[in-house]
Amino acid sequence: MLGLILRRLLQLPVIILAIYTITLTLSWAIPGNPLEKSDGRQPPAEVIEAMKRQYKLDSFPAFYMSYLKSATGIEYLGDTLSGKRAREREQAEAAGVAPPTAYVFNLGPSLQYNDWNVNEIVSTSLPVSVVLGLSAILIALFIGITAGVVGAVKPNSLADLTTLVVALIGISLPSFVVGTLLLLVFAVLFPVLPVGGWGTLDRLILPAVTLSLPFAAYIARLTRMGMIDALSADYIRTARAKGLSETKVLLKHALKNAFLPVLSYLGPATAYAMTGSFVIEKVFSIPGLGQHFVNGVLNKDLFLIMGVVLIFATMLVLFNLAVDVLYRWVDPRIG
Amino acid sequence: MLKLIVPFVLLFGAIFLVVESDDPDPPADFTFINRGDVTTLDPQRMSWMQDLRVARLLFEPLVRLDVMTRDYDIVPGVAERWEVSEDFKEYTFHLRADAKWSNGTPVTAQQFVYSWRRALLPETAADYTALFQTIDGATDFFEWRSEQTRQYAIRARDLTAEQKRIESQKLWEEAIAYFDEHVALHAVDDRTLTMKLTASTPYWLDLCAFIVFAPVYEPLVSQYEQIDPDTGLVKLQLGWTKPPLLISNGPFTLENWRFKRSLFLRANPLWWARDTLDIETIAIPSVEDSNSQVLAFESGSVDWVSDVNADYRIQMLADKQAFYDENREQYEALKAQGLDAFSIDAALPDDPRKNIHALGAFGTYWYNFNCKPTLPDGRENPFHDPRVRRAFSMCIDKQRICDDVMRIGNQPARNMFPPGAIAGYESPAGLPCISDARNEAEKQAIIARAKALLAEAGYKNPADMPRIELLFNSDGGHGIVAQQLAKDWEEFLGVRTFLAQKEIKVYKDDLKKQNFMTGRAGWFADYADPTTFLDLNRTEDGNNDRAYSSPVYDGLLDQAKLETDPDKRLAILAEAERLIMEEDLPLVPLFYYVNIYLFDPDEVTGISNHPRLQQDLFNVDMLGDGKGRDQVKHITSKDLN
Repeated sequence: MLGLILRRLLQLPVIILAIYTITLTLSWAIPGNPLEKSDGRQPPAEVIEAMKRQYKLDSFPAFYMSYLKSATGIEYLGDTLSGKRAREREQAEAAGVAPPTAYVFNLGPSLQYNDWNVNEIVSTSLPVSVVLGLSAILIALFIGITAGVVGAVKPNSLADLTTLVVALIGISLPSFVVGTLLLLVFAVLFPVLPVGGWGTLDRLILPAVTLSLPFAAYIARLTRMGMIDALSADYIRTARAKGLSETKVLLKHALKNAFLPVLSYLGPATAYAMTGSFVIEKVFSIPGLGQHFVNGVLNKDLFLIMGVVLIFATMLVLFNLAVDVLYRWVDPRIG
Repeated sequence: MLKLIVPFVLLFGAIFLVVESDDPDPPADFTFINRGDVTTLDPQRMSWMQDLRVARLLFEPLVRLDVMTRDYDIVPGVAERWEVSEDFKEYTFHLRADAKWSNGTPVTAQQFVYSWRRALLPETAADYTALFQTIDGATDFFEWRSEQTRQYAIRARDLTAEQKRIESQKLWEEAIAYFDEHVALHAVDDRTLTMKLTASTPYWLDLCAFIVFAPVYEPLVSQYEQIDPDTGLVKLQLGWTKPPLLISNGPFTLENWRFKRSLFLRANPLWWARDTLDIETIAIPSVEDSNSQVLAFESGSVDWVSDVNADYRIQMLADKQAFYDENREQYEALKAQGLDAFSIDAALPDDPRKNIHALGAFGTYWYNFNCKPTLPDGRENPFHDPRVRRAFSMCIDKQRICDDVMRIGNQPARNMFPPGAIAGYESPAGLPCISDARNEAEKQAIIARAKALLAEAGYKNPADMPRIELLFNSDGGHGIVAQQLAKDWEEFLGVRTFLAQKEIKVYKDDLKKQNFMTGRAGWFADYADPTTFLDLNRTEDGNNDRAYSSPVYDGLLDQAKLETDPDKRLAILAEAERLIMEEDLPLVPLFYYVNIYLFDPDEVTGISNHPRLQQDLFNVDMLGDGKGRDQVKHITSKDLN
């Protein structure tokens, strides 16, 4: 187990470097000038030129290396060793103001949100996405497993068909429709929940439910399939023959095995729920990470794209690792 | 089973803790949804409408515009009085003694010099640097600094790290010395600021009221400016615009700014005109989705939505019209009293339908014509010929575009400026278009004239013209206008148009490189002088996407610069506008922008509906909340008082 974890963690930097190289190459090729605004006033050519020099946007290799240096902390280390940071701190203290924040892993400034570093953007929006994504997955598990078990106990019954139809709707209805409908019902017609925003539990309910539906639908189908398989297995017959109660048979024996495919789906699903909530973030005004994938690319905000992609890649690797570990814990046969 | 449940319970607990540990903003006196997320609160760097709107609450420039007056009167800001030379070239401002920063220190003339110098450094990336170049010597400084840093970047490749540090510092000191010597902007003492301009600029006070001319607190900001040894450029560190660091000098202070979540402002007790405020706190939640914005208003959690974009706004406006029709008599009576639209709404019976308001904005939607003879790929560009541009401009039914396509009450445009937006300026009549025809005969006459123009330009049979391409960007509903335009040209001229829809960055790029024949564009005015639009068509202007170049036109603008009589100057500018709106047509204006607000006029007052449509939210009063004066604010006029 420890070997597996170590091996995966050692692979991580290599994977991240490859993703970095590919993503930067692709983002670099996006047409348009990242320093130009999508609308409104354009700065003069001299300004664009000076900014290109400042951000090293005039040369791919220079940008590639300088971003790598600052994002990996090499630059921070260099500044500390050369005494540059100590000097800055002294100057600021002498002037009586707070010194600029120095990030160890500096992901650079956002070119679109002029006042924000990518570090700040990620550190404020990642927790939001994690909370929203996890809540959605938990709700999805609850709904999905319940529906799956109900369907599997009596295949092709009315209950089974109902869950199938609901699952189909959950997968097919786009989340902006579900989200807006929920808002209309629970915030405007019967104002029991707030319209949107973030920061309290009641604001979490509608977006988490909306986000969970497609996952719940998928989990329901996976569980149903697994349960039907498991219920026809010999050990279930043995369990029933032993005289165990049906609940115990279903939940303790059958579900445990039926859960394995769900578990392997959970890794990528969790990562996706945490970052792929672009539409939900928009509908419910949630300051999450998902929107930056889309907006970053649309604005060719190189620093922002690189920041969120690297974070997402790291998360994906770590979640898959977590699922593998969980797998071994739940099912000791795999090893 | 327990094995599986434990992690879930733990996760639920963690989520609960994370969410509950969050500290939401308290309810504010006034809550509004801005046009978009604020990108920066650095006055010198901003240009987005939403940024400017918040900055006007946080900062105060030398003078302000009173948006609640019909003529946008210039009123004192940090300066309590000022002197203007007769030729409108020399301005002296006297700063008030009680102008203070939010930390209690006085606002000084030197801080204005520092802030305006920032705007003139190429590396600050100030979108409005051109406005500061009205000051004598400023253009020179800007170009000098660009050149110096360009050369330094090449030189620095061969220097050691220590040499770079010393050299870049030296370069910066030279720049400050150069600025002090060459730029005619001086702090005579702590409270006197003088400046000399390159040309007669009667609208300079209007510019000084523009929030990008507001001062920043030098002791703070200068700590965030570092000289980059590799490029010699001033590198701006981020962070000083956020609370608790931000020190500002305006009506409000910034108490909280959470990225993509909200801004929270509180009245600044140290602001010299604190007594005029009728609200204590302002919250600006970030709500991006246009449907959610309307829902937020309807649920009562928001007092003002500043830019309603939901598709059903057309239906909402129709409902408003129906409401007026039901109360026709009372409405006409109130209108006869000379009340403005909001005051009329406030006086009418209570009804949710009256919360929606469509207002003309100080901006124009138009189509560019590429004036170059060929496209970048070598193809012939028929719009090179002004006769072709004129013919196409005439064969548009602008009224139909407003009534059937846009449907939000836009007015068709015959020239560049919405009527009444610039006091004392008379726009030319402009070129008539299809919708100006009063009957079928007049319509046929316009079409015949357009076809004759095309024939003169060598296109006897319009169907034989090279393929006409029309460029527009995919988002923002521009597609339907483009389709209608293509339909008009086919119907009236018999020309087939190819629609090229592109993603915004590509579209911008194509416009910049003149890789288009005709393309969607538009502009919002920055200040109340015709040059705010007319300069866009100068040969060398950075925003001249049309590549229009006319010595006569440039000459008229130059002549206006030299003219010291304000009336004569406006007449010269009107002639320049006539040239491009009646003869050369580098662009064809379609309609004036409309901005749609959502607020309850019985609850909110202090929102201006002047054609320039600037909102200074420190004017806002929530009626009946027991705070402030609680009286409806009407737009006033000097003539009436």
